[in-house]
Amino acid sequence: MKVKVVTNILEANDRLAAENQKIFDELGVFVINLMSGPGAGKTSVLESTIKEVNGKIKIGVIEGDIAGDDDARRIESLNIPVVQINTGGACHLDANMIRVVMNELPLKDIDLLFIENVGNLVCPAEFNVGEDIKVMLLSIAEGHDKPLKYPLMFQTSSALILNKIDLLPYTNADIQKIKKDALSLNPGLKIFEVSCKTGEGVSEWVKWLYSIVNNKP
Amino acid sequence: MHEVGIAQGILDIALNTCKNNNYTKVDSIKVRIGKAAGVLPDSLIFAFETMKIGTEAENATLIIEEVPVSGVCNSCKENFSVDDPYIIQCPNCGNISLRIDTGRELNVYELEVS
Repeated sequence: MKVKVVTNILEANDRLAAENQKIFDELGVFVINLMSGPGAGKTSVLESTIKEVNGKIKIGVIEGDIAGDDDARRIESLNIPVVQINTGGACHLDANMIRVVMNELPLKDIDLLFIENVGNLVCPAEFNVGEDIKVMLLSIAEGHDKPLKYPLMFQTSSALILNKIDLLPYTNADIQKIKKDALSLNPGLKIFEVSCKTGEGVSEWVKWLYSIVNNKP
Repeated sequence: MHEVGIAQGILDIALNTCKNNNYTKVDSIKVRIGKAAGVLPDSLIFAFETMKIGTEAENATLIIEEVPVSGVCNSCKENFSVDDPYIIQCPNCGNISLRIDTGRELNVYELEVS
């Protein structure tokens, strides 16, 4: 006997992600899934963001890494509630990993939760974890060919932070090409040029953060 | 991408359908996998063959139907359909602003059970 089912194979993750999002919504937490390749500066951008925000909105962080707790220690030293997930090899976070740790954070006291995904330009974009938006980073030294090589992450993100722009004079990276290709893939993408080293561009990024966090219904 | 997890997802869907409807055996499972879903069919079958042992789907065949990447170019408005998973340019005019309609499917759509 033939039975029609038509069921999404990743349904379990999508269902859990939707449940996570409902919990975050009820507690009034805006959630950003922060993604990039390894070493683009996700944790540095978080540190700069936390310093610039300076308590005006309450931030919490979930750190995802294959191993280690270096990132969580860096965030914790800024007196920000943080929980570390070690995926033990998995190249991305999924909705169930977030579900397991979310209650270790004081969610009622958090306005903006950053979920720092595992450094990887591919898989994190495939798995929703219950976020309101995805934001990605690309550092200048990674080169201007990345939007066309890894299109999905650029297509699914609401904002792109071009980090380490202080390195522009020392590389052959064509920042105009990065912006042009990223906007062709995703015309609604907000692009911020940032250097965590010099502090350039951090305030524009944080201003945009305020606007989207405060506009959450 | 993550063929073991996806094989487990397929198996779960088949076994839950069996359990909920009192079927005792799965004979075949048809899945639709988009060319841009990042799944390697050979790896998926390998994972499925290993994981089905000892379940009601022990003798089941996994039948994979691959779905091409198709959509419309936002610039020249031409429809396209290709097997290249990483299409980023319109095959007609070369523009990279595309609306993708199919190619990311990851569905179980039919079971043969008894």
